[in-house]
Amino acid sequence: MNNKPKIGVYVCHCGINIAKTVDVDAVAEFASHLPNVKVSREYSYMCSDPGQLLIKEDIKNEGLNRVVVASCSPRMHELTFRKTLAEAELNPYYLEMANIREQCSWVHEDREKATEKAKKLVAAAVYKARLLEPLQENEVGVEPATLIIGGGIAGIQAALDIANAGFKVYLVEKTPSVGGRMSQLDKTFPTLDCSACILTPKMVDVGSHPNIELLTYSEVEDISGYIGNFDIKVRKKARYVDMDKCTGCGICAEECRLTGRISSEYEVGMGNRAAIYLPFPQAVPAKYTIDPERCLFLTRGKCGKSPKCVDACAPGAIDFEQKDEIVEFKVGAIIVATGFDVFDASRKPEFGYNDYENVITSLELERLVAASGPTEGNIIIGKGRKGEKKKKKDRETFTPKEIAFISCVGSRDETVGNEYCSRVCCMYTAKLAHLLLEKIPDANVRVYYMDVRAFGKGFEEFYDRVRREGVRYIRGNPSEVFKRGDKLVIKAENTLTSTPIEDEVDLVVLAVGLEPRQDAREVIDLLRLSQSGDRFFMEAHPKLAPVDTATDGVFLAGCSQGPKDIPDTVAQAKGAASSALGPLSSGKVMIQAQIAHVDEATCRGCGFCVETCPYTAIELVTVNRVGHMVSVAKVNEALCKGCGACTAACLSGSIQQRSFMDEQILPQIAVLGGM
Amino acid sequence: MVDLEKLKSIAKETVSRDDVKYLIGWRQGTYGFRVSPHFVEKPEEAEELIFSPLCTNNLASYLVLPEKLPLPRGVEPDSRKVALMVKGCDSRAVVQQIVEQGIKRDEIIVIGCPCEGVIDLEKVEERFPNQLESVTAQWSNGKIIFHLPEGNEEIPKEEVLATKCLTCRYPNPVLSDLMLGDEVETWGDEKYEDVKELEAKDPQERWSFWEEAFSSCVRCYSCRNVCPMCYCEDCILDRLNPTWINRSNNASENTAFHLARAFHLAGRCIECGECERVCPAGIPLTKLNRKLSKVVQENYEYIPGIDPESKPFQSSYRPEDQEDFIL
Amino acid sequence: MKEQFEPNVVAFLCNWCSYAGADLAGTSRVQYQPNVNIIRVMCSGRVNPLFVINALQQGADGVLISGCHPGDCHYIEGNFYARRRFGLMKELLDYVGVDPRRFNMSWVSASEGNKWKDVVEEVVEKAKEAGPFEQFRRNKINW
Repeated sequence: MNNKPKIGVYVCHCGINIAKTVDVDAVAEFASHLPNVKVSREYSYMCSDPGQLLIKEDIKNEGLNRVVVASCSPRMHELTFRKTLAEAELNPYYLEMANIREQCSWVHEDREKATEKAKKLVAAAVYKARLLEPLQENEVGVEPATLIIGGGIAGIQAALDIANAGFKVYLVEKTPSVGGRMSQLDKTFPTLDCSACILTPKMVDVGSHPNIELLTYSEVEDISGYIGNFDIKVRKKARYVDMDKCTGCGICAEECRLTGRISSEYEVGMGNRAAIYLPFPQAVPAKYTIDPERCLFLTRGKCGKSPKCVDACAPGAIDFEQKDEIVEFKVGAIIVATGFDVFDASRKPEFGYNDYENVITSLELERLVAASGPTEGNIIIGKGRKGEKKKKKDRETFTPKEIAFISCVGSRDETVGNEYCSRVCCMYTAKLAHLLLEKIPDANVRVYYMDVRAFGKGFEEFYDRVRREGVRYIRGNPSEVFKRGDKLVIKAENTLTSTPIEDEVDLVVLAVGLEPRQDAREVIDLLRLSQSGDRFFMEAHPKLAPVDTATDGVFLAGCSQGPKDIPDTVAQAKGAASSALGPLSSGKVMIQAQIAHVDEATCRGCGFCVETCPYTAIELVTVNRVGHMVSVAKVNEALCKGCGACTAACLSGSIQQRSFMDEQILPQIAVLGGM
Repeated sequence: MVDLEKLKSIAKETVSRDDVKYLIGWRQGTYGFRVSPHFVEKPEEAEELIFSPLCTNNLASYLVLPEKLPLPRGVEPDSRKVALMVKGCDSRAVVQQIVEQGIKRDEIIVIGCPCEGVIDLEKVEERFPNQLESVTAQWSNGKIIFHLPEGNEEIPKEEVLATKCLTCRYPNPVLSDLMLGDEVETWGDEKYEDVKELEAKDPQERWSFWEEAFSSCVRCYSCRNVCPMCYCEDCILDRLNPTWINRSNNASENTAFHLARAFHLAGRCIECGECERVCPAGIPLTKLNRKLSKVVQENYEYIPGIDPESKPFQSSYRPEDQEDFIL
Repeated sequence: MKEQFEPNVVAFLCNWCSYAGADLAGTSRVQYQPNVNIIRVMCSGRVNPLFVINALQQGADGVLISGCHPGDCHYIEGNFYARRRFGLMKELLDYVGVDPRRFNMSWVSASEGNKWKDVVEEVVEKAKEAGPFEQFRRNKINW
């Protein structure tokens, strides 16, 4: 085919929007003399059907192979006119637009100057159009499966939504059970429904759903590939219990020599477990796991004459020979729902968390008020100093009467590096205060606060309710908690009355905030996620793409993206699920056309483009160049987003962004600079 | 001080290895103070190797220069290592080549030569003109002894050293597999005085300065060809499609050529000064390149050619990079 | 004489922020001088620094690069690369005596139509003050 450029130039009046300021006839006349221009026309509305027809007919009748439309911004109508070209069976990337409305007629008044500028812009477009190349938009298939990292409520909800839509889900959870933080909560604000009652049915659902493959006690080791085609490697850690044989009866844990001697992660130190354990009674899967760091047999190779659990287990499920297992599979989309860490209260030493047994965190209180918790819902607090060795019978406990909450511990606090509000503490404080009053009706509960943020549905009403119930709110951020006799003293200033306070109490509850997970780095490295200033994972756009990430096909849900309460988490999980379902259900994704490509003959293999690419879309590969093995850059077309940063980084001009190549931009510069 | 006998024995041993292609060093040239690169392939050729204040050439360029000619089918490329003698500045070129993956660390054997500074040929020839006999030289306690036919001449080294050596911060190789001799004490205190001097002038004076300098350019491309960092298979400044620089020799194109080259070297130039040394028109190219070295060091705290593990300067950024120039 | 000089400024705008900001200026009918001609690129990170030299050589009296504010880049970090590259380029041009008023860079977001106008006014004003850049013109070659 003779590919000598035959260009059609179409100057749009846009009613009078352009024609009022720009002499469109003069521009069209001018364009007709530019090199390779076969046809040059002006028309009232190029985007209208007759306008588009004009182009299509000229393509057919005049044999045009390039089209320049001088009209509004390409951000407005580039897709429209690309479609026009495609309908006339011309490659849609043979289109170039000159923006003579937003950037000319609308911003200039002087008709002569605006016309001259429009001529320049059209000329620049024509010179670029001469060098345009046909481009193809490629499609890649989508593996109809999703990986969800994290089995908290966000991961559970997203998994159920996707599985119910008929797609396979791999739900990977680091701990032995799904459920996450929500499973540790007693009641949920502001409606006070029991957390377990609403969560456990969902946990059971993910455990039994035919489309969900639950990989608990597992960690993602490696992720490669791109949207539609991610290759996943998961390490299933050895549980030392045969999942098929374990019935979850729990006799092993009763028999274990360490029963009641290992602090339970689930009970956040308020209760104990054995070396073989179920994290909590409703755990899913209801299969026991041996803690390899504590089990006597695994750490010392010896547990009495023989491990008691082995003897106790009737089905013979215990298997000390079990090894970690690597599972590999492919998915089309990934949802990151790795959750949060609770702020470590010992980082605020002034509140004495490390020193006194009756300074506890809100999560610890959560376990105390829970009917299923270690104290069966009774508020029993230890006395004395932490870390003191006491025999069980000597342990002094009591029920507190004077109780104070300190809010914003680890939130809105630059000294610990957390400027953000954790969004849940105000309300869980109100909830816990309410529950305490339920359990200890004669208790005096007060809350030291900076501001009360009761912004959600039913929140303000709930806050009013607990105040009516007698919870006192004192505005002031305590500076210190120390011991005086049997009591704890809170030192603060009531900032509303400007009076100093020394408040003697029995129990201090620190309303600790939410923090990015300690192991967030591992996830960032796996997926090349970005972090926002608060160190939580960064969404693609704070308003309009809140569940997306910079990597196509990777979505965020829940507190990994920032502190959230349960309704927001669930909503975001559903959003992430429906975003993931887009490519899954269409079965294909389009690969952009205006992406980078490499001239292997001139590439020097320096890797500047590889280092520059924000999407790790470029790698160095070894090729045979006339008998020599040399390394050159190679673009993964599915990962490239067409920013062109590589092109500007390349010293030899070997990597070029299609449609924005050096040889296409230089003529534009020459025209706009030199006319 | 490098022991020549040790150098020769190491060189012989090295080129006798099956996995070594050749060793690149220096030998005395044919006349005056000239020194030539010396490719040692056979042990006996090592006898000619020298290391002296006359060894100005940066041999690192030869690591990336060899043309990869088409090989007949079935012929394996020669993958043997290349051994290379380096001064401190030369070693920075090797490091930077490693950073840019122009060479691989395991493809080379770096023989480090602690250096007390090399001569500026022009300064020496001015002092001892018309030397047709080959003259050797050696360092001695802060002086350079020239073994002239009429007898030895001792000159304080500051008087004959190349300008770059007067402020050298890296007299000892920053990368080597083995070192010839003990490290020398660092004397340089790089303050970029030459750059500051020009910066202090007003823009019109600066433009005139460079216009005059670039006008004398004959576009021989020696500066590019000798540069250890310039080794693209196909330099964009040579290219016709697209044409970045016209081939005509005039102030505009010459200026564009030198600015483009300087920019391409920003964060990569290791200030070996070879471009200026070989320039037949005497263009003060180091004064140009060192401006960007100064900016890169002062504003971005980056010094190229020091750490083989570092990221290329222009392919990295810090969130706090300066932006006071941005509207 | 100098009052009549109409400088010619070539501008490279990223598609997502600055070009959209310039479009917004248009939609809002903000009026500004017609001396700035825009080349659209997808990201300020795409702008090859040698384009600046080329534009000055090809007749531009001034060059402007405009991208998203730091942290807003549509491609995450393209504007950070641009900032570093053009920070160097600015120093280089200044050093060889190119009037610093000829080269400018700005951050203009998609919502900053008014800022775009301000930027245009400023760079045009600066280019006017700097005057025509004849010394470096390619087309003034006298064969």
